[in-house]
Amino acid sequence: MCRLLKVHGDSLIPDYQEGDFVLVSKIPFLFASPRPGQVIAFHMPPYGTLIKRVEQVLEGGHSFFVAGTHPLSVDSRQFGPVSRQALLGRVVWHIPKPG
Amino acid sequence: MFYKLLAALDRKVKFPEAQAHCDIPCGIYDPIVAQINALTVVRMLDLMADLDATTGDKLAYHNSMSRYIAVKEEHAEKAKHEIRVIFGDYIKAPHVEKYPELPTLVHKIMMAGSKVRQSTDRAAAVEFVELINKFAQIFWETKGISTKRAKAPYKPELELVYPNL
Repeated sequence: MCRLLKVHGDSLIPDYQEGDFVLVSKIPFLFASPRPGQVIAFHMPPYGTLIKRVEQVLEGGHSFFVAGTHPLSVDSRQFGPVSRQALLGRVVWHIPKPG
Repeated sequence: MFYKLLAALDRKVKFPEAQAHCDIPCGIYDPIVAQINALTVVRMLDLMADLDATTGDKLAYHNSMSRYIAVKEEHAEKAKHEIRVIFGDYIKAPHVEKYPELPTLVHKIMMAGSKVRQSTDRAAAVEFVELINKFAQIFWETKGISTKRAKAPYKPELELVYPNL
């Protein structure tokens, strides 16, 4: 239900940077759907595991538009909505890289 | 403190990565650039073969020949570069699982690209085009787009793989 991931890439700068660690968990989604603004990790072929911010909740919480903060972020503008089944969890603990 | 601890653990166990992927959108990947570069290599070999060393002044001959060779070199390398970029940036593990021949194919393209730079073997250059055609066919298949073969509308008029858009 929880997994530790290392952030790779710059699409969520300045909040999340290359080298940060995040603990993501599915537990919050047992009680509520993701909400806009929350940062989630999910699986998206062929990109692999991605971390993005929820921008819009669709179909009563069954899928979501996600986005990064960087203008060149690869997100729902390219791969469409993310289904609930693809979710790995929400960031419940962010351990930023010092400095 | 937590970060230092996790960073030390990461060096040992390598935590999985979450990609905050930031790039130019993948829609810009297109093997046609490599295909045209490979076709240019064949065209340069044809021009080299047609260049008559017995007529005209020697200076003009050497000037033209060296220009054809330079373009052949440059376009063979450009074709290899384009394939490396698509293979490195676009192709992901699920693609390789579905098309296990891809890594070998890319390696063959690299080798063929070097061979056409080293030699004046037209058959090797045509093979270079064909290998990249095969890569293009797989590339479009990964996007769910069917392909067709058609003669390029310019010399050397070899067949290229085009997407049915």
